[in-house]
Amino acid sequence: MTQGSSPRSATTVEPNLEDPDGFYESLLSAHEGLSIEQSFELNVRLLMLLANQVGDHAVISDCIRLAREAARD
Amino acid sequence: MSNHGQAAADATPRDPVPGNPAPDEPSSVDPKLVAPKHVDPKHVDPKHVDPKPPTGTGYELPVYDFRLPPELADSKAGEPSAAGRKVYPLIIVGGGLAGLAAACDCAVRGIPAILLDEDNTIGVRGASSRGICYAQRTLEILNRLGIYERVRGKGVQWYVGRTLAGDDEVYSFDLARQPTHSHSCQPAFINIQQFYIEWYLVDRIVELGTVDLRWQNRVTGIRIVDGVAELTVQTPAGEYTLQGRYVIDATGIRSPLRDMLGLQTRAEVGVDRWCISDVRFRHKPKVERWTWIEAPFNQNRAVWQHLMADDVWRLDYQMAPDSDPDAVSRPEVVAERLREQFGEGVDYELVWVGPYGYRSHVMKRFREGPVFFVGDCAHGMSPFGARGGNSGIQDADNLIWKLHWVMRGWARESLLDSYDSERREGAEHNVQVTNRTARFLSPRSAAERMIRNAALDLARKHPFGRTLVNTGRMSVASTYTRSDFAEAALQRRLDGDAPGAGRPLQNVALQGHGDLVTLMRSLDGRLLAIAPDRETALRVDLSGAAGAGRLGCCMMAGGATGAAGADVPPAGWQTIAAREGAPARLDRALELMPGRVLVVRPDLHSAGCVEPEVLGALLACYLTADAAAAAAGEFA
Repeated sequence: MTQGSSPRSATTVEPNLEDPDGFYESLLSAHEGLSIEQSFELNVRLLMLLANQVGDHAVISDCIRLAREAARD
Repeated sequence: MSNHGQAAADATPRDPVPGNPAPDEPSSVDPKLVAPKHVDPKHVDPKHVDPKPPTGTGYELPVYDFRLPPELADSKAGEPSAAGRKVYPLIIVGGGLAGLAAACDCAVRGIPAILLDEDNTIGVRGASSRGICYAQRTLEILNRLGIYERVRGKGVQWYVGRTLAGDDEVYSFDLARQPTHSHSCQPAFINIQQFYIEWYLVDRIVELGTVDLRWQNRVTGIRIVDGVAELTVQTPAGEYTLQGRYVIDATGIRSPLRDMLGLQTRAEVGVDRWCISDVRFRHKPKVERWTWIEAPFNQNRAVWQHLMADDVWRLDYQMAPDSDPDAVSRPEVVAERLREQFGEGVDYELVWVGPYGYRSHVMKRFREGPVFFVGDCAHGMSPFGARGGNSGIQDADNLIWKLHWVMRGWARESLLDSYDSERREGAEHNVQVTNRTARFLSPRSAAERMIRNAALDLARKHPFGRTLVNTGRMSVASTYTRSDFAEAALQRRLDGDAPGAGRPLQNVALQGHGDLVTLMRSLDGRLLAIAPDRETALRVDLSGAAGAGRLGCCMMAGGATGAAGADVPPAGWQTIAAREGAPARLDRALELMPGRVLVVRPDLHSAGCVEPEVLGALLACYLTADAAAAAAGEFA
């Protein structure tokens, strides 16, 4: 169990991506040529698809909280 | 308020029973459609968001006579009559869905209740708006009350639903082709105008004769003296007082009783506005439910189109926030909307028009001494998922058997507190569910709208995306997880080992008994114990507290193993089995557990699935000491 995750869920903030740089590059490519609004909706579609892979509501809630807490202010 | 039952099966499809022909309704109970009357805008105050009924009506509803109450008949000037000094066991105030369901339940159980209604008809002064979709649990309750067949005969079932945004269909479904997850004898829902349910309830109450229906009796005062409620009642023949050991407030969202008792309820009032047009078309549209999340013909706002009885379609249009009800309900504006939707040549008859908004609230407690709050006065919510009327009927279903038990001396008075904990949990859940739908349909910011766009785009392509599209989640039977009676008492006595306490059970079809509702009815209000097999049944000690004369005992025929001799019930027991052709075996349909006894409450909720040896302790949670010590074998 890692810091920042709820003790009940299996949320991980330790490295788990097979190919971090590849993931980052794919994300940038997907946003090329899009307006801010289009990028926003793309991101939401993406997170909804990813959330459906996770399924576990506790993990998803943890991730939403962690994402919000990671904002600069 | 309009009930959108539209999303009946978007998320959890259940199977309406296809192919049930509607029996012919006797023509005497058919209302005549009369010329539509326009909503008088003077009567619609945008700040009062629940629908103040318009002056017009598209239906001729029955009128019930005022009869001189005995309190006025035999009173002498200045002196209370003999009747006026009597304390009645139960007075129900308000003849809407919840009040009439409560009254009808009393009539069925033989409780001599009085129902006071300020009007002389059903419906809100004839308004045809309000609930149009009645969910499976309600239909099971109406079956128990004896009006289900009439509702099924008059009402409409639909199978194909389409959800649209812009010019495209986001997705569609056909309930008749989907696998069923339902074990109930009742379909997932029936669409029918609310006043028909109320009408049939009144007819049933009159037929049974136990309950005194007093029309044009308006309650103008209430006070509680020594635990007894004293009502001041205004009638065309004068005023009188009425004392009740118990009172049920079913007077709706603006309950005067609640206010007179000084019980605050804080309503959240939204800016979302809708306008209903109930119409009949010359050319009948297909019997499909269509829901636009963004309708191009309605300024990209939501629209519902679904059918109810008498070929009347409910068209419900989302309006601009805070829009002016005068403007949106003018006949020429209504006509323009219909042309936008159906084309220039649309030929229709307008049955009813009414703008509305909604508010949500939940009372802090649903009981104040002798007074119980049911239906909209206890909890209000937006109409999505048809949770208002359906939950009001569940309120009545939860309360009346408990009152009956206390009146019969079967249970301690504290059983009645569980009405509050159980139904308040149901109400809070319903408010949460309906608020989520309202937020989906009225995004509060540009970001919320873009999130919705993302969900719609995914729903067009992928099945999982459809689960995010929230046009309403159909009312279901509540699960009581924090009943202060069942749950807390069980945890104290049984160390929490009563799985499933508070879980709703479906009205499964039974061989020879009709269905579970019929079987429960034959028990005259007793609990029902169901053992999965003979071995488990034999472990129940019927001679002690477990017998108590308050328990009917059934074991599953054949048992789980189907061993020889397994069909022979022990003394005091009878066998039950799922009817041939039922979708599942009884143990699966009722989620029986091996070696445990399922205890069914009169409202078809589980009181727990327990080891036979602790059945006595479970019953002791519900029964008085006297009742628990009473002789066994009443049922056998």
